[in-house]
Amino acid sequence: MTEVFQSLVVYIALLAALLNLVRRQWSLNLIALVVQFICLFPVLQAELPLQLALIQPFTGLMVTLILYLTLISVGGIEPIDLRPRPTSGEVFRALAGIFLIATLRTFLPQIQQAVFPTIPLDHLFLSLGLILIGILQLGTIREPLYLAIGLLTFLSGFELLYIALEFSFLLAALFVAVNLLLAIVGSFFIVKNVESETE
Amino acid sequence: MSNTVIIWVVLPIALGLGLILLQKMPKLSTALASLIPLVLALLALIFSESLTLQFLGRRFILADSLTVFGRTIEITADQLRMIALLYTLCFFWNLLGRLFDVSQWSDSLSLVITSLWVSVQFINPFLYSAVIIELIALISVPLLSPRGTPAKAGIIRFLSMQTIAMPLILLSGWMVAGIETSPSAQDLVLRGALLVLTGFILWAGVFPLHSWLPMLTEESHPWTISFLLTIMQISIALFFLKFLNQYAWLRNIKDLDQVLKWVGALCLLSAGVMAVFQRNLSRVLGYLYLAETGYIVLSIASIQQGGLELFILSLLPRSFAFWSLGFALSALRQEMDSDRFDFSDLSGLIWRYPLISILLLASLLNIIGLPLFALFPSKRVIWSLLTGESLLYQLFGSLGLLGMIILFLRLLGVMISPSNSAMQDKQENPIILVPVMLIVLTMVMAGIFPHIFSAPVQDLLVTFQNLLP
Repeated sequence: MTEVFQSLVVYIALLAALLNLVRRQWSLNLIALVVQFICLFPVLQAELPLQLALIQPFTGLMVTLILYLTLISVGGIEPIDLRPRPTSGEVFRALAGIFLIATLRTFLPQIQQAVFPTIPLDHLFLSLGLILIGILQLGTIREPLYLAIGLLTFLSGFELLYIALEFSFLLAALFVAVNLLLAIVGSFFIVKNVESETE
Repeated sequence: MSNTVIIWVVLPIALGLGLILLQKMPKLSTALASLIPLVLALLALIFSESLTLQFLGRRFILADSLTVFGRTIEITADQLRMIALLYTLCFFWNLLGRLFDVSQWSDSLSLVITSLWVSVQFINPFLYSAVIIELIALISVPLLSPRGTPAKAGIIRFLSMQTIAMPLILLSGWMVAGIETSPSAQDLVLRGALLVLTGFILWAGVFPLHSWLPMLTEESHPWTISFLLTIMQISIALFFLKFLNQYAWLRNIKDLDQVLKWVGALCLLSAGVMAVFQRNLSRVLGYLYLAETGYIVLSIASIQQGGLELFILSLLPRSFAFWSLGFALSALRQEMDSDRFDFSDLSGLIWRYPLISILLLASLLNIIGLPLFALFPSKRVIWSLLTGESLLYQLFGSLGLLGMIILFLRLLGVMISPSNSAMQDKQENPIILVPVMLIVLTMVMAGIFPHIFSAPVQDLLVTFQNLLP
């Protein structure tokens, strides 16, 4: 039962990351980001004590809050529209993301055996999946919010991977600082972009 | 307070953050931002012999390590010269920062960034420095992306590259843990080396992942970007030497020197070839950094032939060269009241701004490595080392150098050509005659007497015991 739940959580997190890759609706993206970070918790709890497993999701929530407050201040939050026709760019990103995840899933046992034999399969799938989607996001956008989301997705995947290899309090603290600074930089870019558009 | 880590890392970060409160008092802020690194550099030089100091009948003894979250940062006496070098750079850039229209965050963040680069060199386990380098990249954003303009492609690419580099370095450490006791694991060694080299290539903007360099130099203020890239280039090179010094498996890889020579030669070639076709002087600055990275990599690749001494010999002249070029470009930007340096805008420049033009041309000649200038002695040795190597290295190095010379001649041609500009009557401030002459004279003196610039940093080599012959 726990394994099924864990697998479900992994797929939900990856789906949320894919949604952020594909859709360009700020409200929807922030909700997906929250879901993505919350879904890290069960996977982390399998490796770490409760208090330590909470660090990354909690930081993620703070990061999302920073971005949310910035978007509100620049008037960027609009009601979610779930039924706009997908653009060609969205279709491309969706296909590319699904292809990457499917390829990763196919070769995951070999990757696990060759490089990360100590990491559970679900854990590895989620971390590498987030890393790949994050890189794809970075390669396909220039908008500040999506840059921030791409970097956060990439970093959360890597943090997840590294925690399974080695845990250090100093490193955890540094990662929290990086995540928060990333959110501040994302907010800085969003505000700058809006300012330069209104000038 | 009597701890090296607190004095040279924690305190400057705290003071740098404190300077944010002084943004409304820019003169005081700049004065402090110059004074603090100067004092720190002098203190580092004073304590570089011993961490004990006898002064006015009192004895000061500094502890050399600090534990944070169970990990140690250790700064010993013989490492203090490295710290003095980094804070000296910060001092020289902050000293003139107020002359130019740089970011209001410049004073405070430059100090914080320098302190973080210092911590990069000394945190233990040193692989964690990768995360601090990511922090530095993020903190640099307000300096690199001026207000009133949207976030441009260069800064976005820079952030992406720095972020992707960090995991590679961290993973390399995990991957090769225990490799010293199982030297037969050749596959692991190669994987680890690949991760380390790719990480450093992304960090330093080495060919072919250098595209963010010219984009960033075009988008940012020349004074700010020259500081950030100079301190970054030196710190990353020192950090790479630390990797080589610590990891026997890495430095003993067969043909690592050949790989590094390829990387260095390709940097020279790509920088020279691409610089020839540039139409914007700001972008040229990026290619000059790429070329200098190539020279650094070549000197590291030639450790067996005294490459470390070469690297040390070129440290201060290279920093001074970029400082003077940054000064020339910033002064030009100020005088022209424009942040665009298209070659078409520079026609007749030498008649309008003769002093700045002379400084600009002399700085370029210095960086290219013309005889009599400060960088010539170290570059001459690298060129002569290349002549003993494969024909391809020689070809790449020669084409790179030729490219830079053609670029210089193109720029000279544009600058002396008659101008139709409406700004023809605008005159530059004659007060800069003295500093310009002093800077050019220093460049030449350092070329004639290279030991003047190399002597203060000669002791840096002590830190890399395993790399010394």
